[in-house]
Amino acid sequence: MLGILRSLGMTARAALRKPVTIEYPTTHREIPNRDRAFPILIWDEEHDEPYCTGCHACERACPVECMTVVMKDNPKHATGESKRRKIIDEFWIDYGRCMRCNICVEVCNFEAIGMNNTWAGHELSRYDRSDLVMDLDMLLAQSREKKVEPGLRA
Amino acid sequence: MVLEQDTEIVDIPINMGPQHPSTHGVFRMVLVVSGEKVVDVTPHIGYMHRGGEKLMEAMDFRQGIGYADRTEYLAQFSAELCYCMAVERLMGIEVPERAQYIRVILTELNRLSSHFMFMGAFGIDAGLFGTSFTYAFREREYLQDLFEEVSGDRLMYAYFRVGGLAWEVTDNFVQRVHEVLKTSQQGIKDIDDLLTTNEIFMARCQNIGNFTADQAIAYGLSGPMLRASGVPWDLRKDQPYAVYDRFNFQVPVGQYGDVYDRFLVRLEEMRQSVSIVEQALEQLPPEGPIIPEKMPRRLRTPPGEVYAKVESPRGEWGAYLVSKGGDKPYRLKMRSPSFCNLSALREMTVGQFLADAVVILGSLDIVLCDVDR
Amino acid sequence: MLLSALMVDMPRWLAVILALIAITLVMTFAVMFATYYERKAVARIQQRMGPMRTGPYGILQAFADTVKLLAKEDLRPASADPITFELAVFGIFVPAFLALVAVPFTQDWIVGALPLSLIYLLAVSGLSFIGFLMAGWGSDSKYALLGGMRAAAQLISYEIPLILAMVGVVMVTASANVSDIIIFQDKVPLIVWQPLGFLIFLTASIAELERQPFDIPTGESEVAGGVFIEYSGIRWSMFQLTSYVNMYVFSLLGAFVFLGGWEWPFGRDVGWGYQLLLTLAKMSLFIVFYLWARATFPRLRVDQLMGYAWKVLIPFALVQIFLNGLVLVYDLPDVALLVTSGLGAAALVTVVYQSVRVQPRRPLEMVSVRARSVA
Repeated sequence: MLGILRSLGMTARAALRKPVTIEYPTTHREIPNRDRAFPILIWDEEHDEPYCTGCHACERACPVECMTVVMKDNPKHATGESKRRKIIDEFWIDYGRCMRCNICVEVCNFEAIGMNNTWAGHELSRYDRSDLVMDLDMLLAQSREKKVEPGLRA
Repeated sequence: MVLEQDTEIVDIPINMGPQHPSTHGVFRMVLVVSGEKVVDVTPHIGYMHRGGEKLMEAMDFRQGIGYADRTEYLAQFSAELCYCMAVERLMGIEVPERAQYIRVILTELNRLSSHFMFMGAFGIDAGLFGTSFTYAFREREYLQDLFEEVSGDRLMYAYFRVGGLAWEVTDNFVQRVHEVLKTSQQGIKDIDDLLTTNEIFMARCQNIGNFTADQAIAYGLSGPMLRASGVPWDLRKDQPYAVYDRFNFQVPVGQYGDVYDRFLVRLEEMRQSVSIVEQALEQLPPEGPIIPEKMPRRLRTPPGEVYAKVESPRGEWGAYLVSKGGDKPYRLKMRSPSFCNLSALREMTVGQFLADAVVILGSLDIVLCDVDR
Repeated sequence: MLLSALMVDMPRWLAVILALIAITLVMTFAVMFATYYERKAVARIQQRMGPMRTGPYGILQAFADTVKLLAKEDLRPASADPITFELAVFGIFVPAFLALVAVPFTQDWIVGALPLSLIYLLAVSGLSFIGFLMAGWGSDSKYALLGGMRAAAQLISYEIPLILAMVGVVMVTASANVSDIIIFQDKVPLIVWQPLGFLIFLTASIAELERQPFDIPTGESEVAGGVFIEYSGIRWSMFQLTSYVNMYVFSLLGAFVFLGGWEWPFGRDVGWGYQLLLTLAKMSLFIVFYLWARATFPRLRVDQLMGYAWKVLIPFALVQIFLNGLVLVYDLPDVALLVTSGLGAAALVTVVYQSVRVQPRRPLEMVSVRARSVA
């Protein structure tokens, strides 16, 4: 019976501790800097265009082949505003296939892609699986609106 | 009035279907029960088979680490470590010291996390309403917070790379590990107080599923299952890898090979893991490279084959890598401890009571991703 | 009687009907509160919060559950025996409410003052096993049948130590009327004179309520769903309701018989307010213990459960009766009751260890790994 009394004492002590619950969605816990949510593209404020040039490096390195990349000639290069000869034309990432392994970030030569480390990268529920395919505007949206500093960059 | 009928006494088959109240993953067990005693057990596996080994043949050695994670989803660092060790052995790469120590620290913390999961799920199997589960998961949350700070993800870390680590740890890593160790020790004590000496728990677990040392070796068990049966075999001590030979720790070995011994062995292993991490933190070189300098850009292995094994929380996780040159494996066979441990289920369960079958299955500590790959 | 408490002149049958309606309504709300409180208390033990979102601090959770259960489809297996299937829930439901008729909440608040109310209470609460058998048989499912048989076996087995512990109490107080037992305790509660009887009552009552660690019938979820696997909607909620009403009944019984009811420590003249408060406070102690035990203990196996009842509790209950008899026949001072029963309680506490056949915690052999010096 003594072991039973010890168990009862343990639970009584635990009942007096503060609960460890974080009441989501009223409160959100803080995410660390290196958190890897889903990939997003970074906007270059100086030249007013994405950093991404469409070089296909991330597309080739992706283990699950969730990206589709199309590049085009950069109109801003002709006018001399930007040094990038090519720029991204269309970019699709299927968030439903992405396994968030960070390899695309590691291989990117231009530091154009990063892992979203905000809550917006986690709260991505949709009713339809095809809504999870993000196109270029959606991928650039967060970086254009406010500065997002992804943690791990190559 | 006497009933004039020929009665036939049959054994009832009871199906513990793929959906379980206790958290073991998609596993189906058909028990043939005669009254209260189990007469036959047929496990049905394969619900989680994803063709992992075939998929790995299409992945190069950096992409494959994410898949090794997903094979052992409770002891991810063990699987990553084994995979990286296999490739490093084949390529002849030497991992720098600091990376070795950090690998060992993270692997041992992962062992803590996996054993906490076992404690939680095992309490539920024994009939506890959920108290052990919540205590165990509270500790796992703290550990996962630490892993999230270091690697970026809470469950599928993909942090080790061939040759060392992917990126440097955070600046406050040592201090955070000390904090996590303190809370983990409190958690181990909580579960110890709650379960170990509880007479009801002992009555549920003692002398159930006994397995002798000879049987254990014959069935190819490994890990805590083997050690609970009395065989003092631990890969970290008998065939040390990484820097395990520099630590002073003890390996708990059981006596009767029953469910209670396996529980005690895992509980004691958690304490030893804490001790290993503390020693590793002291010996950790404060600075140093985490990847060798002359690392080739594309990892190409020379043709050959290698078998690397680690002591994962479940047993011996091995990677048998056959390469024909090139940057992808020709064949990668993952030796999963859960699959081999599961083969002993029938021997252990036949002759026991029906209610004990669940407890025995819980004590095997299987991970279905590992069984089915 | 109740008439004098209400101070309104009305015919007896009307007063009784009003009292019954009042008890039923109060019990329904009390059960709702009990389900809410259980979830909160068990959550706090597990270091989390319970329901928090339905209403402020989750107060409306019980209402939400009730509404959900009422709105569910009333399933019935096609091959179920219609009469037993229908009436099984009533077989469990009615005895619980019947027991509330003879319970004295305060000195005057009792619906039916029976001269042998203790026997009535024990008899009525022992009727519920028929409902379990009916549910198990009528569901036409082998899991329900297994569960039903086990439930019936458990309930019958644990009735006996319960009743024997009460027999010990009756011997000491020389009356089987609960009000008289309470009045007997005006100086010292009976737990002091009968600690062994109290322990036996506590254990047997948890088994009668089918809560952890004795919840084999309802905890069969390891293998199957238990006795009420085929029930859904209102019938399921009636089963839950009964479980909590039973909890209240046993808590009240324990509070009256062992802790002094509304009498100790303030006596008879304090008015019904204080008496009611005392009753509720003592009842709450029992309820808290039941919830605490639920969150702490794993489940016993069926054979261990039966072994515990027949091989430990019943012999100890008989020992308690024998010791009471010795003390009363030889007219020993009251303290002898305390000493003998206390020794018996200590023996019960230590013998539990042996009866479930556990071995003491075995030390593990630790194999050391020698460290190589770090060059």
